[in-house]
Amino acid sequence: MPLQTQLPTWTAIAPTVLLGLTALVLLLVDSVDPDSTRPTALAAVSVGGSVATLAVAGWYLLAGTGQVGGAIRLYGGSLVIDGLSLFFTVIVASVVAMVSLASHDYLQDRTYQAEFYSLVLLAATGMSLMASAGSLATVFVSLELASLPSYALVAFLKKNRGSVEAGLKYFLVGAVSSGVLVFGISLVYAVTGSLLLSDVATAIGDAGDFVGVAGIGVVMIAGGFAFKTASVPFHFWAPEAYEGAPAPISAFLSSASKAAGFAVAFRVFAVAFPLDAVVPMGIDWPLLFAVLAVVTMTLGNFAAATQENVKRMLAYSSVGHAGYALIGLAALSGGGPNGDVMGASMAHLLVYGFMNTGAFLFIAMVERWGLGRTFEDYNGLATRAPVACLAMTVFMFSLAGLPPFGGFLSKYALFYGAIQGGFWWLAAVGAINSALSLFYYSRVVRAMWIEDPVDGDGVDLGATPLGLYVAVLIAAVGTLALLPAFGPVVETAQSAATALFA
Amino acid sequence: MVGAFDYAPAIVLLPFLSFVLSLTAGKYLPKGGAFGGIAATAGSLILSAWVFLTVSAGNAYNETLYTWAAGVGEGTTTLTFGLLLDPLAAMMLLIVSLVALLVHVFSLGYMNDEGETGLPRYYAGLGLFTASMLGFVVADNLLMAFMFFELVGLCSYLLIGFWFREEGPPSAAKKAFLVTRFGDYFFLVGVVGVFATFGTAKFAGEAAFPVIAEEALAGGAEVTTFGFAPETWFTILGLLILGGVIGKSAQFPLHTWLPDAMEGPTPVSALIHAATMVAAGVYLVARMYGFYALSPTALGIVALVGGFTALFAATMGVVKRDIKQVLAYSTISQYGYMMLGLGAGGYVAATFHLLTHAFFKALLFLGAGAVIIAMHHDEDMWNMGGLKNRMPVTYYTFLSGSLALAGIVPFAGFWSKDEVLYEALIHGLAGSPLLLAGYAMGLVAVFFTGFYTFRMVFLTFHGEPRTETARNPHGVRWNVKGPLVVLGVLAATVGVVNMVPLHDLTGGFPPEYLHDWLAHGELSALTSEHYGELLHDYAGYTSADVASYVAGAVSLALALAGVLTAHVLYNVADPDEHTAKLGAVKTLWYNNYYQDEYQIWIAESFVLPLARLADKFDQGIVDGVVNGVSSVSLFAGNRIRRIQTGVVSNYAVLLTLGLTALLVVFGVLGGWFV
Repeated sequence: MPLQTQLPTWTAIAPTVLLGLTALVLLLVDSVDPDSTRPTALAAVSVGGSVATLAVAGWYLLAGTGQVGGAIRLYGGSLVIDGLSLFFTVIVASVVAMVSLASHDYLQDRTYQAEFYSLVLLAATGMSLMASAGSLATVFVSLELASLPSYALVAFLKKNRGSVEAGLKYFLVGAVSSGVLVFGISLVYAVTGSLLLSDVATAIGDAGDFVGVAGIGVVMIAGGFAFKTASVPFHFWAPEAYEGAPAPISAFLSSASKAAGFAVAFRVFAVAFPLDAVVPMGIDWPLLFAVLAVVTMTLGNFAAATQENVKRMLAYSSVGHAGYALIGLAALSGGGPNGDVMGASMAHLLVYGFMNTGAFLFIAMVERWGLGRTFEDYNGLATRAPVACLAMTVFMFSLAGLPPFGGFLSKYALFYGAIQGGFWWLAAVGAINSALSLFYYSRVVRAMWIEDPVDGDGVDLGATPLGLYVAVLIAAVGTLALLPAFGPVVETAQSAATALFA
Repeated sequence: MVGAFDYAPAIVLLPFLSFVLSLTAGKYLPKGGAFGGIAATAGSLILSAWVFLTVSAGNAYNETLYTWAAGVGEGTTTLTFGLLLDPLAAMMLLIVSLVALLVHVFSLGYMNDEGETGLPRYYAGLGLFTASMLGFVVADNLLMAFMFFELVGLCSYLLIGFWFREEGPPSAAKKAFLVTRFGDYFFLVGVVGVFATFGTAKFAGEAAFPVIAEEALAGGAEVTTFGFAPETWFTILGLLILGGVIGKSAQFPLHTWLPDAMEGPTPVSALIHAATMVAAGVYLVARMYGFYALSPTALGIVALVGGFTALFAATMGVVKRDIKQVLAYSTISQYGYMMLGLGAGGYVAATFHLLTHAFFKALLFLGAGAVIIAMHHDEDMWNMGGLKNRMPVTYYTFLSGSLALAGIVPFAGFWSKDEVLYEALIHGLAGSPLLLAGYAMGLVAVFFTGFYTFRMVFLTFHGEPRTETARNPHGVRWNVKGPLVVLGVLAATVGVVNMVPLHDLTGGFPPEYLHDWLAHGELSALTSEHYGELLHDYAGYTSADVASYVAGAVSLALALAGVLTAHVLYNVADPDEHTAKLGAVKTLWYNNYYQDEYQIWIAESFVLPLARLADKFDQGIVDGVVNGVSSVSLFAGNRIRRIQTGVVSNYAVLLTLGLTALLVVFGVLGGWFV
């Protein structure tokens, strides 16, 4: 029996509310005790809140909330709870839990810890809302709610030039992109007279002479989402922000924030701009995303291949992965297996949430140890930290899409879905890019396991950062476990996506 | 009822267990795991004897035990492991486990008492070697046989290269591995061919591939022959499999690995030559004799290769200085006889020679091993002499083995070799010049065999000691003498099982035990009776009427002539190097007809340039494309990197331009601006 028949309908929004409440609790703690030196308590609240969110969202997802018997619409349809929103809430909550756990060690001896955690959770609240946004107004507001704390978080290391510079750049590019997005929304509103996605869908078919206005609006909205997902040509902030930000924040932004960007993009485009209505009018948005996907994955992978700095390499690889995920919006056609393609893309984002978060957290650990940032600095690390390096090897090979890791199956499902939909060339470009990506991912592995350390092995790594270690291991186990567990995951995602197109 | 057949898998598993034990815990075991090996092979021997007795009672066993790849649907094949225990397998099990046991015991004297290191590795190798050979013997299908055949090859590699820190052994091991692998390659193609043709590779039963082949020739079954006539195709398959046989049984031209394999420890040589590695090739032909018997061409080639090898190797044995080298060439020569026997339609004769040879060759190698211990690991016969009085047990047992090898009545080798030649003669006279040629070569080789064998005996044991070491040899213990005595007795007496000339002369006494043993059985398609019918019906073999004792007398006379020549030349107090008088022929023989040289020449002038070409293709074209792609990628990556200038206003410009470009392109495409 679906939950909504037993609980009041407003409880469907509970996961988002939980995230927001946790943020407020953290702020409250900070207000009561502003000079708090209890980092463990703060981290515990943060981890606890996100795990609770994860539990509730996971429970809803399994129980069929918003899936059996149709989506749950709240507040006049401006919020929609369905499989897609819950699925992405699960991704966001998992990433937040791992990041919070890791931040406990990363933030050691830094001030403003409570602010850090509450900003992370506020951003997560925004991301969760993005996944549930049912109207273009909610889309914009939630997107800003996710973005504004992110700017602050990137610049969190106030005394670090790179961090502050990255934060400012992120903010400026973000401001431009928000402008583009909101302009696009206004154009669509101008044509359709509504902000609700379902109403837009019915009205856009009658755009008539205003098809150009609608088209420009659609492309600009796509641009706004491209900013959030770090896709070309709105990706410029990403390498710098990921490199300059504290590594847990890089993990958070590149995994959760990107996933949320895709969540909102999936919903808006699948619901508001139905393929059958808009493509014949000349608004061929799958083609637009196909172009973006090819350019994004190619640019991301090629740029990643020439980096010397591991964190920057991962930043570009994150751009590349945005390109793979874009296939979920590109390989669509009227009557094609659209739900399967988009579902595969969602599943890939979930796996990506674990493997990419894990990789950035490993870098956080390396930063904590005070080792350098280039590939050479990783030389021979395996002799000193074998378990962590094993986990990193899992992340790297999984990111490259090698079996037997989760990333293999998710990429396989994605490319397979694209081929099923008749977009074999997209899958081919994706496969070639994956092959290229193996080059730079394996560089990390080679440095860690094969190369000899440059400065001898005398340097002591210091105390083991327990929280970081555990977070990295959770990510590694998740990456591995998603191989056998991939079947149910992709089925859930595909049924959630199919519901959007229905 | 639980019988011998239910325990038969243990025959293979016991030595395997000894292998595992020696490998994992050999360091902690007394004698480096030797006792485990002895116990395991003794267990195998007892079980083999039990199987032998059960088979004697007229039983046979042909069961699939494990299916490791099940074919689903039409036209697929199922790959299995199973056991086939018939008279041939039972006899071979007895030989292998007995020789393996004696070799294990002898190793106590040769390896442990000599203070060798790495004993767990040695005994692990022996265990696995024995297990692989036993597994090969009981295999019920060609693929399983192939797998164990390869395992045997691997073990020979491991054991020949046992002293891997020295220069020679690793190289000899590599050579043995590569040369036999060259033959096995054809074997593998043959196995695949058999599967493709018949859909099964089972040796025995209703749907065995020799049975299907027979039906196909009789027009009763349809098989895939890839456009060839069935006769031609079966000959091709037979010859492909023969590739593996020629490699393993060291037949011309793939015999070159075997003399080099003398670099391994001497007990290993005994095992390789008598019971395991080299015997595997001949056993394989015997195992699937029902298939070879269908193709007169394949049989003719087998016989010719065998006869030629017998003579060819015997001549080289004449001039060697090293005692083990003489034995090595004698092995090649003797296996040539077995091949001649098989090719000539003498299935029983060849099997008989396999049996007697296993005992007398194991004996000779172990005897040589005892001599080598005594001589402080000097193997040059010219440094020996006069050892007869100093090590009598070794001398008399070695003499027994030598008489058997030379083919002197009544020692075992006489009966078996004589029967091989007799079969070649009668089938040759009935209209097969190919077999007659084989017979002629085999007959000439008898003289050489007698000569080189006794040259070896006289140089080693007779005359005056030629060095200080030979005057005061190192003593040997029971663990060396025991196996020698057992084998010495067997070499002298085992011929009793099949004294054909005597049987014919006396008109029926004593019975031909081995003929009767192999002629009947529960699996009628695997009996010599059935093979005789096949040879007659398909290969067109008929027999001329020649009395067996006449043929026997001829070969005995030749053997005695050889022995006498050796006696005259070498059985003196201080023999000269008479072979030097052979001049250029000696040089040719001493250098093994330059076989190694021409094989190296082939390798260097054909294979190497081809390999270089492949390397060029790989380096230049394949790698070139790959490298090209990667440099283009890296170059492009570098360019792309430069877009990221770090100046935020540039980003804003690029972003806006990108968006504008998208808007314009899609606007034009979608007709938004009309």
